[in-house]
Amino acid sequence: MPRSPRPRALALALVGLVATAGLVGCTAAGATQAGGSAAGGGSRPKVVIAYQKFPSGDLVVKHEGLLEKALPGYSIEWKAFDSGASINTAFIAKAVDIGAIGSSPVARGLSAPLNIPYSVAFVLDVAGRNEALVARKATGITSIAQLKGKRVATPFASTSHYSLLAALRGAGLSDSDVKLVDLQPQAIVAAWQRGDIDAAYVWLPSLDTLRATGTELTSSAELAKAGYPTLDLGVVSNALINAHPDVVDAWRKAEAQGVNTIKSQPAQAAAAIGAELGISADDASKQLAQGIFLTPAEQASTTWLGSEAAPGGVGKNLQQGAVFLADQKKIDAAPDLATFTKAVYTKGFADVTGS
Amino acid sequence: MGITAYGYAMSATTIHDLTGPQATATRRPARTQPPSTPRSSSAARRQVAREVALRVGAVVALVAIWWAVSAWGKPDPTLRPSPLLVWHTFLDLANPAGAGYNGLTLWGHLATSLRRIGIGASAGVGAGLVLGLLMGTIRPIGIVLAPLLNFVRALPPLAYFSLVVVWFGIDEKPKLMLLAIAALPPVAIVTADAVSSAPKALVEAARSLGAGRLGTIRDVVIPSALPQVLVGVRLSVAIAYSSVVAAETVNGLPGIGGMVRDAQNYNNTAVVLVGIFAIGFSGLLIDGAIALATRRTSRWRSLT
Repeated sequence: MPRSPRPRALALALVGLVATAGLVGCTAAGATQAGGSAAGGGSRPKVVIAYQKFPSGDLVVKHEGLLEKALPGYSIEWKAFDSGASINTAFIAKAVDIGAIGSSPVARGLSAPLNIPYSVAFVLDVAGRNEALVARKATGITSIAQLKGKRVATPFASTSHYSLLAALRGAGLSDSDVKLVDLQPQAIVAAWQRGDIDAAYVWLPSLDTLRATGTELTSSAELAKAGYPTLDLGVVSNALINAHPDVVDAWRKAEAQGVNTIKSQPAQAAAAIGAELGISADDASKQLAQGIFLTPAEQASTTWLGSEAAPGGVGKNLQQGAVFLADQKKIDAAPDLATFTKAVYTKGFADVTGS
Repeated sequence: MGITAYGYAMSATTIHDLTGPQATATRRPARTQPPSTPRSSSAARRQVAREVALRVGAVVALVAIWWAVSAWGKPDPTLRPSPLLVWHTFLDLANPAGAGYNGLTLWGHLATSLRRIGIGASAGVGAGLVLGLLMGTIRPIGIVLAPLLNFVRALPPLAYFSLVVVWFGIDEKPKLMLLAIAALPPVAIVTADAVSSAPKALVEAARSLGAGRLGTIRDVVIPSALPQVLVGVRLSVAIAYSSVVAAETVNGLPGIGGMVRDAQNYNNTAVVLVGIFAIGFSGLLIDGAIALATRRTSRWRSLT
């Protein structure tokens, strides 16, 4: 039997390979960790931005590189997340500096026991017809009251979840009167097409797929009028505000540019958003038309963000959301209004956004 | 007097004669006994007591470290829940009269998941056993299926779960399918290997004594493969068990995996930990039960 060639050398080579792989892996991980958040510092400080894939000025800022152009001294990282709940988790882990989150997860994040140290700095959009409750045409359901005993899907812990519960309450139903199913938007589309669910409350772009074979029962626009508005908010970590207020200013300015693009150059905005979402510019325009986008001037008013001297309605909206969550036993108790008013960052808003 | 895996006809000598107390006195100790086991029973009792004390001591030390970490600096129930908080959460969830999580107690969620694992893993293991037997006895099938099974075995369940949901919906079927798919390859591969490595001498001896192909499989191949197959079954169940959270990713409530995911959505770390402990401990118990059954059926293995 031939002897295997130099078994000791072979073993040594294998150990060397594994050790090298391990070292490379560790240093690579170490590099990204050391970058961490801009508040932590580094050679070129990193700013990590969490974004979600819904039509808004945030995607315009990302696509056109507005923030990268405004902050050449920083390394900007954009990370996609599926839900506000996961962005909350990322903030708790101190892994992101800025995020686009719905008002319901923000209300939860600012309440106990999470007490996430972040502040609202921008209103990305007010949910209008871009979030809605739709029932499958095949079920023959035409009103919310008819949902009793039916299967309704929504991504839990989101603005749609909050809106669905508000809609049910408005029709005199409690959430135990329907069979609530927690599904992410893509799973909702699949379950809808299989006929596994009867209705769903979800946002664009999945919403448009459902509308094709569904009847719209209500939308967030109607719920806003009924006193349950939901917003998509831009939040920044308090650590970033303290360590790099210039970054926050630049970000607010870029977001203002994004919103202004949507308002005054809709075709350009639609092209950017379509590219980010992987849909045609035409579809993107239709989806943009369904949201309510506030100009920086409108945001500075006391209806929304307000100013340091005169706090605006966003704080009150968040507190209402927290009260609702406490009623639904999703959180133990709603904090007082002051907690939310303090968590709205408006310093220098008017100057920075030129409103 | 039948053909046994020993390859010779057993007459008056029984298995008991070969392993009973008189046998250990006259024969050398069986290979499964550790050489340091003392003969007297009080020494054995002390040994067991020492082992138990070591294990309990390790657990106490771990809990102490956990408590220290959670109490360090500013206590944070989301980032570092204390053992006491997790214990209270467990009591809340386990209380039969309480609200539980999402309307069901911890035991309700656990029972739902165990039922799914029972059905899914049984289906996977059953199909795996049949497939493994076919693969081991009919060589062409083995050659074709072995790489395919290895491929499926390497896939993480979460990767193909969204496909399973699209094909089978959001109710029980995709969860059972996922658990079955996770449980099938390990037991099939181990069974195929065990069956194809049945001692050739015994198989030939059986054939020369007049046993047909099926008789050989029933009386020689399967009994000789049994210990290894049971190890494969134990492995399969463990793999299926660890896939329960993946299986309950979509529409997982009620279910222990669904409870963990839902609690994660709300960053309720204490509930997540209670769920993780429940999965871990129940998995340990199930694995122990299978190991016990394995040992009982393979007691004669040391004699071959």
